[in-house]
Amino acid sequence: MAAGNSFDLVPRILPYLDRLLIFALLEHASEQKLYSEDVLLQAKFDLMKDTNMADYVTTLHKKISGSDAEVSEYVERREKVLEKLAAFEKESAELLQVLRNPDVVAALRPDRAQNIAYLKENHNISPDSIEVLYHYGQFQYNCGNYSEAADLLFHYRTLASDADLVMSATWGKLACEIMTLQWDNAAEELLKLREQIDAKTFSDPLVQLNHRAWLLHWALFFFFNADAGREKLTELFLTPAYINAIQTATPWILRYVTVAVLASRAARKTTGGASRAASYATYQKQIRELVRVIRQERYEYSDPVTEFVYALYVDFDFEEAQAKLSESADVVRSDLFLVASADVFLESARHLVSELYCQIHQRIDIKDLSARLNLSDEEGEKWIVNLIRDTRVDAKIDFSEGTVIMNHPPQSVYQQVIERTKGLSFRTSQVLAHMLTARNATAAVVGESEA
Amino acid sequence: MSRFFAGGSSDSDTSSSDEELYSDSEEERSEQEGSSENDSEDDSDMGSDDDDSSSEDDGPEGFLKPGAKAGASRFLRGEESDESDEDESKRIVKSAKDKRLEEIDTIIRTIENAKKINDWVLISNEFDKLNKIVSKGGQQSETPRMYIKAIADLEDFMGETIKTEKESKKKMNATNGRALNSIKQRIRKNNRTYEDQIAKYRADPEAFEKEPEATPEPVAAPKRKSAAVEAAAAANAAIAAGDAVDEGEFSTIGRGGRTVAITPESIFKQLRAILEARGKKNTDRAEQIRSMDKMLGVAATVYQRIRVLLVLISTRFDLTTASASYMPIAQWKAAQEEISKLLETLEANPQYAVTEDAEEIDDEESEAEPVPKDGEPVKIFGSIASLIERLDDEFTRSLQNIDPHTPEYIDRLKEEAPLYATAVRAQLYFERLSHASSISRVLMRRLEMLYYKPEQLIKFIEQTTWTEALPSGLESKITPYNGKEQPSELMHSICTVLYKQDNRLYRTRAMLCEVYHHALHNRYFHARDLLLMSHLQATIHTADISTQILYNRTLVQVGLCAFREGMISEAQQALQEISGTGRVKELLAQGVQMQRYGAPASPEQERIERQRQIPFHQHINLELLECVYLTASMLLEIPFMAQCGSAPDAKKRVISKPFRRMLDYHERQVFTGPPENTRDHIMQASKALASGDWARAKELIRAIKIWELMPETEQIKDMLSEKIQEEGLRTYLFTYAPFYETLAISQLAGMFDVSERKATALVSKMISSNEVAAALDQKTNAIVFTAGVEYSRLQNLALALSDKAVQLLDSYKYR
Repeated sequence: MAAGNSFDLVPRILPYLDRLLIFALLEHASEQKLYSEDVLLQAKFDLMKDTNMADYVTTLHKKISGSDAEVSEYVERREKVLEKLAAFEKESAELLQVLRNPDVVAALRPDRAQNIAYLKENHNISPDSIEVLYHYGQFQYNCGNYSEAADLLFHYRTLASDADLVMSATWGKLACEIMTLQWDNAAEELLKLREQIDAKTFSDPLVQLNHRAWLLHWALFFFFNADAGREKLTELFLTPAYINAIQTATPWILRYVTVAVLASRAARKTTGGASRAASYATYQKQIRELVRVIRQERYEYSDPVTEFVYALYVDFDFEEAQAKLSESADVVRSDLFLVASADVFLESARHLVSELYCQIHQRIDIKDLSARLNLSDEEGEKWIVNLIRDTRVDAKIDFSEGTVIMNHPPQSVYQQVIERTKGLSFRTSQVLAHMLTARNATAAVVGESEA
Repeated sequence: MSRFFAGGSSDSDTSSSDEELYSDSEEERSEQEGSSENDSEDDSDMGSDDDDSSSEDDGPEGFLKPGAKAGASRFLRGEESDESDEDESKRIVKSAKDKRLEEIDTIIRTIENAKKINDWVLISNEFDKLNKIVSKGGQQSETPRMYIKAIADLEDFMGETIKTEKESKKKMNATNGRALNSIKQRIRKNNRTYEDQIAKYRADPEAFEKEPEATPEPVAAPKRKSAAVEAAAAANAAIAAGDAVDEGEFSTIGRGGRTVAITPESIFKQLRAILEARGKKNTDRAEQIRSMDKMLGVAATVYQRIRVLLVLISTRFDLTTASASYMPIAQWKAAQEEISKLLETLEANPQYAVTEDAEEIDDEESEAEPVPKDGEPVKIFGSIASLIERLDDEFTRSLQNIDPHTPEYIDRLKEEAPLYATAVRAQLYFERLSHASSISRVLMRRLEMLYYKPEQLIKFIEQTTWTEALPSGLESKITPYNGKEQPSELMHSICTVLYKQDNRLYRTRAMLCEVYHHALHNRYFHARDLLLMSHLQATIHTADISTQILYNRTLVQVGLCAFREGMISEAQQALQEISGTGRVKELLAQGVQMQRYGAPASPEQERIERQRQIPFHQHINLELLECVYLTASMLLEIPFMAQCGSAPDAKKRVISKPFRRMLDYHERQVFTGPPENTRDHIMQASKALASGDWARAKELIRAIKIWELMPETEQIKDMLSEKIQEEGLRTYLFTYAPFYETLAISQLAGMFDVSERKATALVSKMISSNEVAAALDQKTNAIVFTAGVEYSRLQNLALALSDKAVQLLDSYKYR
């Protein structure tokens, strides 16, 4: 675990997270038992001191100090919070009442200005009271009532016009969804935020970069949810704008990118048939992109996970890769975000190694390969058989010699030429059709003008 | 001294009208002016210089030499340049001068006549004509006395006319009146120029006219003689006045032997006179400087000191004529010291500030000096930032012109430290005033003095500046100094300020300087990232030329850095743009390239180009650059050539054109001797590498002497050896693969003296990227080459055709 700790990224990640998200992370950490309980408790306490969750803080305090005495400070705080809550409730009661009316919901349109006008006309709601929703939502969030906060912010977003506040409301909603583990909703919010960040023209590019960095970090929570989010995550990570953000601001995210990309292979395996070749191609492309970035950023950031990819794809040093892989197993297992994906990652990494190995070699000793993969002979044989079946490598096992013989048929020239020219005739006819329509169009225009 | 007389009395010297000789003597003169502070030694020097000509005529010289020499020389030096200017004109326009005088005479007579009939229109016309003639001649010689007399009389007459006009109710006719009004203005303005002469004339018209003048005798030689007499007299007067000087009351000898006393009261008047004379052709600047030096001693108040210093410094800069290549070093030093003095004065007296936004002072109205009011500093018009910039420019110009292989150059270079200190001091001054634009101007200069220096040098210059040159107690917010900080931190803090400026030029240059600094210290990734982030490569062609040069320098430095770090292909790419063009000298501004095509550059162009040159100490060694570029090209090109082999488009795919050209040339040679220069070494190494003889290639490359110029030579050589081994292995595989069925890894590793693991890795890489058609056999640990993958020519062409067809289709644009 010592090796894993030296590559611990939590201190680097924390500045990019919301207070309550950190809390979630700490909860997760205590589940994984990576840190000692006392340290975590203290951290939680420090974290929550200023939030509205007075009750929780009190319990925490009791736990830390070991005494049952109520601290007056927190009692006071609790009362204040309740007071404020009541005030908010009162203020927004009318508005919420209206909004919960199904007729009103039906009448609301995507056009915000129109919505506001509608509410004002029919229900006498001023734009100012809409602001209350936002603050109420924020307050609820700080109290830990995530689903209510999400609800409020959702309403706010449909009505509000202030772009900055809408943005921060979206951030808030994303946080709520993450906290309540609503991954589908969260993914939706993530997408919305991404659109907003990309579409908005920031006066200062640095602000945009910061937003992207936050988004990248928040997105890490999707790792908690093993499968569904990962593909989207990979896509997000490898979008040029975000790759740039990673390279300039937060190179340590590369570890997660690597894991996400490699692990997505496992997900692909389940999709069958026709799309498989296509998905394999995108997978190859992603790997290439990943290798490029890792290579470029190696001087800035490297850990066993990225070093593994580097050793494998840049140096083609299998022994080094092997060493790095076993190191990275520790790292991945001790990483808060990655624990869930650790096995998938290791499996995929092994696959990668053997695939590349097979590609390069003509005859492989099964014993040697098994050793390379940290497997026993028998397991190794099974593994190879599986590999041959899965990747449809042209290979056979020579049992008497204990070797696998790979057959790399040279691609014939005819095949290559056919491959390349396959689409030509179709595309040519497309071009022709396009040209004809274009000509007809101009001819029509000319005809009209003459007439 | 002797030269002065020689030039005057003998027309044998007139060969100086010859262009070349003329410019020679001019240079000589500027030298003399430069060293006018230390006299006697210089004097004798001059004497020996002109020995041959002076021996021809010893009359006047003999007359003067014995006694008066030391004293007179001191005062006459200044005159000298002017007088000899006169020689020039007089010799050429000797008869023209007479004609001119005659013309003046006629015009004056016409004016007299017109006066009688009160015809102001005529007077006005004639007055203009008169002025034109006088000013034409006046540039070369003194104003004729009769002109002074005429204009003085005219002014009087005008005054009278106006008076009578007012008294008598009767108006004169309209045109006449208008002419009178307009001439009134012009006469006033014109006469102000000749104020003192007019005054003298008014005081004693008789004596004034009697005074000896050039006019009566049209022949040059006698005039000279009279000038000599005058000079001698002046010298005597000066000696007499010598005591007075010591007492603080200084008298200087004006052109006509006048005595000008400088007192604190008259300082402003004097300054004004100097300022007015500025830019006129025959003002004697050396003379002005000397008088201002004295003023400085006399100046009673801080205000006066500042004012005098400002004028004095700018006059020093004016001293450099266009023909002189650079400012005389003594003058430069004096200017530098005076700027320091000025800054010191301003530091000591925070109630005064020299700023660019102050109002132009007009002493004419108020002779009284402004007194600092509470809290508000007195603003004085002036630009210290420009002075610093000018000082730096002159420094660079002198370095451009001094032969870099002489001790002079090194001496000159030593003066960078005081210059740097002055710049820092100015920066501190502006920081105190929080004058953002000036801070950035000075910082830019400071940065450009630092960026090309290695860290030790920066540390050193910073240390001397802060501990020796600057008085203690000064502190900077932008660039604090505590003796411990790293040079790169300093660079960064300077750059950070400049990045925030609105001016794009500052940002660009600061960025390039920082990149250069990083590259110089082997921080390749920092440098590269910064350079890429700046997106300069897209816009640099729109920048001004000196910035483009800086960009080129930076690019080259980044390339060299990559090379030192062992990133061969990065190095090659970075250097390609500069070294690949064959115009390296021009692009880096390190010497003028020979013109190969078309007509040679015009002198104008050549001059501009010379101005752009980078001083020698900042040069990037071109031979080293070429060596690095060619070596990098070799390491990439040789395996690549082997890989392409006999492919049909092998000729077209070229990584480095210059390298290919040289290689071709080398191969065409019938007999190749042992390598002599760097290029030979690399070419022979390339050949050896191509044939698989990596050991010889390594030997040849290691034998190149110029590697010594790189820090940590041995490391670089080792790095290169390693690269040669790798590339040699690859080349070998590319070249000889068709001849093998299998090849044991151990054999290969032994052949290239690398570990088996490394050999395997290299081979694996090649197989994986489809560079060779082969596979490894783990059991026997050998490479098995796949047979029959060598395509025939027809097959190759078919593949190429299919590629082209796809490309063609891709290039169709749907609209």
